[in-house]
Amino acid sequence: MSTLTSVQVEKTRHEDKPVRRRFNPSTFAGWMGGVIIVGLILVAIFAKQLSPYDPAERVGRPFQPPSAEHLLGTNDIGQDILSELIYGSRVSLTIGIVASLVTMGIGTTVGLLAGYFPKRLGKVLMRIVDLVLIVPFLPLLILLAAYLGRSLFNTVMIIGVLSWAGTARVIRSHVLTIVQQDYVLASRTIGAGDLHIITMHILPQVLLLAVGQFVQATSGAILLEASLSFLGLGDPLQKSWGTVLYWAQVRGVFLTPAWRWWVLPAGLLISLAALGFALLGFSLEQVINPRLRNSH
Amino acid sequence: MRTKEKQNKTRLFFLGVLVAIMLIVTACAPQPAPAPAEEPAGLAEEQPAAEAPVAEAPSEETEETEETPVEEVVEEPGFMVERFRAAIIGDESTLNPFTYVTGEPGWNVLMMQYDSLFTMNIVGEPVPWLVTDWSLSEDGLSYTLSLRDDVSWNDGTPFTAHDVKFTFDYLTLNAVGRFARDIRGFESAEVVDDYQVVINLVNPNPGYVRLAFADVPIIPQHIWEGVNDPQNHQFEDVTNVGTGPYMLMEYAPDQFYRFVANENYFAGMPTVGELVLIKFADDAGAQAAFRTNEVDMIFRVIPPEQIDLLSMVDGVSIAQGPLFGTQMLMMNYDVEPFNLVEVRQAVAYALDREDMIDTVYLGAATAGSNGWIHPDSPFYNSQIVQEYNPERAVELLESVGIVDSDGGGVREYEGAELSFELITPSGNALRLRLAELIKEMLAQVGIQVNVASVEQTTWEDMVWPEFDITFGRSYELSMWGWSAPVQADVFRAPELVHSDPLIGPLNLSGANSEDIDRIANEMASSQDPEYRTEKIKELQQAIADEMPFVILMYPDGNYAYWSSVYDNLAFIAGQGVVNKLSFLPESARP
Amino acid sequence: MRIGLKGNRLLEYLLVFIVAVTLNFFLPRLMPGNPLALLAGVDVGLMTPEERAEVIIEAGLDQPLWKQYFKYIGNLLRGDFGYSYRQKMPIIDMIMDRLPWTLLITGLSLIVSSILGVVLGAIAAWYRAKAIDISLLWTMILLGSMPSFWLGMLLISVVSVENRLLPSFGAITPAMSLTGWEKTKDILEHAVLPVTTLSILSVPGIFLTMRYTMLGVLGEDFIRTARAKGLSEKVVLFRHVVRNSLAPVVTILAIRLGYAFGGTVVTETVFSYPGLGRLIYESVSNRDYPVLQAAFLVITIAVLVSNILADLMYPILDPRART
Repeated sequence: MSTLTSVQVEKTRHEDKPVRRRFNPSTFAGWMGGVIIVGLILVAIFAKQLSPYDPAERVGRPFQPPSAEHLLGTNDIGQDILSELIYGSRVSLTIGIVASLVTMGIGTTVGLLAGYFPKRLGKVLMRIVDLVLIVPFLPLLILLAAYLGRSLFNTVMIIGVLSWAGTARVIRSHVLTIVQQDYVLASRTIGAGDLHIITMHILPQVLLLAVGQFVQATSGAILLEASLSFLGLGDPLQKSWGTVLYWAQVRGVFLTPAWRWWVLPAGLLISLAALGFALLGFSLEQVINPRLRNSH
Repeated sequence: MRTKEKQNKTRLFFLGVLVAIMLIVTACAPQPAPAPAEEPAGLAEEQPAAEAPVAEAPSEETEETEETPVEEVVEEPGFMVERFRAAIIGDESTLNPFTYVTGEPGWNVLMMQYDSLFTMNIVGEPVPWLVTDWSLSEDGLSYTLSLRDDVSWNDGTPFTAHDVKFTFDYLTLNAVGRFARDIRGFESAEVVDDYQVVINLVNPNPGYVRLAFADVPIIPQHIWEGVNDPQNHQFEDVTNVGTGPYMLMEYAPDQFYRFVANENYFAGMPTVGELVLIKFADDAGAQAAFRTNEVDMIFRVIPPEQIDLLSMVDGVSIAQGPLFGTQMLMMNYDVEPFNLVEVRQAVAYALDREDMIDTVYLGAATAGSNGWIHPDSPFYNSQIVQEYNPERAVELLESVGIVDSDGGGVREYEGAELSFELITPSGNALRLRLAELIKEMLAQVGIQVNVASVEQTTWEDMVWPEFDITFGRSYELSMWGWSAPVQADVFRAPELVHSDPLIGPLNLSGANSEDIDRIANEMASSQDPEYRTEKIKELQQAIADEMPFVILMYPDGNYAYWSSVYDNLAFIAGQGVVNKLSFLPESARP
Repeated sequence: MRIGLKGNRLLEYLLVFIVAVTLNFFLPRLMPGNPLALLAGVDVGLMTPEERAEVIIEAGLDQPLWKQYFKYIGNLLRGDFGYSYRQKMPIIDMIMDRLPWTLLITGLSLIVSSILGVVLGAIAAWYRAKAIDISLLWTMILLGSMPSFWLGMLLISVVSVENRLLPSFGAITPAMSLTGWEKTKDILEHAVLPVTTLSILSVPGIFLTMRYTMLGVLGEDFIRTARAKGLSEKVVLFRHVVRNSLAPVVTILAIRLGYAFGGTVVTETVFSYPGLGRLIYESVSNRDYPVLQAAFLVITIAVLVSNILADLMYPILDPRART
């Protein structure tokens, strides 16, 4: 499995110098991503002001097509779909962000430790990483979700706990190169403690990388939340974009014309959020990579 | 030199990958297609050669069947339809009496191949089937059954009384599964002659005809007497030998079953030549295929939201009728104040069942009777009323001192807020929605409910630990539902409410009412049908007064089918349309 | 130059394998509830305690966990996966029935997505920062952001339900007894939508890897040398750049092949496709422990093998990785 690491190191090492001064597509992508994310977060924050109705309230007949009162129609028990989607952004974004914070937290810690103590501890940790990477991901995810029960907390933890391994790898390989640098070796010979070296010298250098990983993980976590909810393994009573699709699926909506105003917008929102974070992550990588090269 | 070497290796590698991929693709393409099982020579000739390519083009097929009016075909000595394709959800394994999986439609499909001594008629009453004549001894212990003499197993062996005796003995010996439970109380069977058999019971059991004789498939002695591990027995031509109107010819796991009509069926020639059951992972897949007429029917009740939509499709009809399944709200007597009858009554008054039916079932359900028994049942006590009356609910709550003293919108009982967890299985979408509505309605009368969707088995374990009520229960409020068989035999009602676990093994709320116990005991003490009917009506009133649970509704059965392909289904009350009568001519139905 | 696995590397894989087998055994058993309802059918509540006990004993569930574990290992070594609780048939048969279908759609989608990914990735890198590169890049990021089940639902709605262009479910038209070309055509028609869904999902990853790697290669000295030697752009592109960029892509492909076995759960569920993914999903929801164990094991082995293959291939493909 070490090949993955080498691929990633390879990727970063050989990254070309971005063309500056002219129109820079990656900067543009970053801005786009940022605008999307900020926009969605604003929607989530001001959900109450933006929603035409309380999403938990039955405000019309079930299965109504779009009308002036209900721009995206009503769902299977007469709740306003637009309001569901607006409120749903809260749960979906929160799950995505919190889950990838967990991912980043575990991944960075393990990566730091494994890179700094590469002998015994590092080996053990990397075996665990291998294991987490090898155990079939989605089946395990389904299993854990079914076992632990359906709640927001569980969804967040399951996604976080199962997806940190990639981050740990990337961080570790970077730490391995940092540890070899003169000033780290120097401060070691002066007798600086491990904790001091890790927090003062290494952590600052991997932080940006960790943030990049975090942003990319968020994109994945949003998609995972949607998949889990779709399979009925999220909490179907929490309004998220994924559960809106779950109800569309269990009530057979995609076989009817209603897919246009029920299935389509929910999926587009998920894609938009995932896209926003992916773009930002992509752009961040362009910024981070040259630094990686400099520190080499 | 180095580049050259590299070049060769790369080339070699790509060849390897290419070959590997090709191998994968070619290796798996032909393999999974099951070879058709060998058919008896006589049947193979009946196979219409022209039928095969048509099925892929649904519009063509529809037109074709429309061109040939159904009535005309009936006159001819052929099938009404050569082939009928139905969707089922999941796999039912090898579909013999020991391996089929679900009660519905597993049992229903199983009974296409087998016959029972009695069968249900359209109104859901058991009538003689393999039996011609029967009598019950004075003491209620011995059934003397005369059998038809014109029945043979579909391998040609004649069916006799020995097969009946063998079936009961064999099921007693291999005491696992639904049929072993059905025949519980069986003492012995005696063969009088080839076409007469006596079944002796340990105790009198007025429900035995419905419970055992109309449910248990008679299996052939000459096939099963050599089988010691019936549960692990795989599909072969021999094990799926029955007397029924269809024979299982082909079983492709997770894909389909193919049945062929038994043209010598004793009750009459089946109406459909070949019955193909196609398996789907979920409802949505089955519905998609149904809409495109890749299947002609779904062997399962369609969800309410599909009824209007599907009936608008040209060529599609909906078969509708009563089913005896229930949606109910369980209240745990161990959790105060549900031990107070006023509180349980208040909950029932606070629930607007019509609103629930209109919203969640879009009207396709019958409002629940507080007395448990379906209004369409001949044993229904029409004196029982239930109404939506939140004011009455409030009065009842306040009569036992449950008031909202701090003005927070939630009432308190003995200082604690009236707040409960309502659990419901996460896999059941309609139940989740019902639970949400219950939460909303109970909030109106000051009872706070938090809906928790939990995993199916966790939910079962909380309501019915180890499926044994003596283990107690650990829920506050729970959604629940009993399947049709529990309701189909109204005299089983005491099982739900009797305080003695032996008589009331399904008493999941912990009801203990002297009235109920007394009436149930009186009912059990007699064999007299009139007395028992009187008692069951009394019992319904007692249940309504006690309100151990709230019967929310009985969902109706709605089955979608392409009537342009085949329009001869029989709806058996409480059982639906998936039955052998649907595939027999009207003249052959009891 | 060394190809082949070092001894301790093999040992590591073995260790991972053993841990995975153990996990496979214990994880399903941590599920709540007991499988009694499945063993005995829906009317389990109507059984007497004696009858229930008999069911449990017959299935071996009354044994202590460690005894069940060693029995499990022993059976595995003999290639015996046991019987499915639910389907009451040998698990190995169930897996062998479904494996080919999963291989078919994942195999086809791997071919489609690797060709598309490599070609488009190479084009994007070659024309880097030009309009074509940027539009490809954006398309790929967009595609990578779509939930797969949603894509599947839309395909069914639009292609199958509304326009009736392709079958909406399954792997083959049931009970048609087709042969030869007709049958191949039928299977391919059923595979189109699942393969499309799977391909759209995996193209972006391959594309991005190819593009990144090739950009790296383009910056290397030997490419500059080749150009300086006056070789034509075509020769430089195909003989030097593309070939040197393929190693990471192939590695990723090899790893993906392993994941492909289990990664199709959602797609197979949406399309009612009778593959391994659908089997896993159904087994989880039915708590069919032995089937789940076996399916996990098959996937784990597939992942391990493809990782070993990737390790073996990498030095062959990429001379720079040799030391």
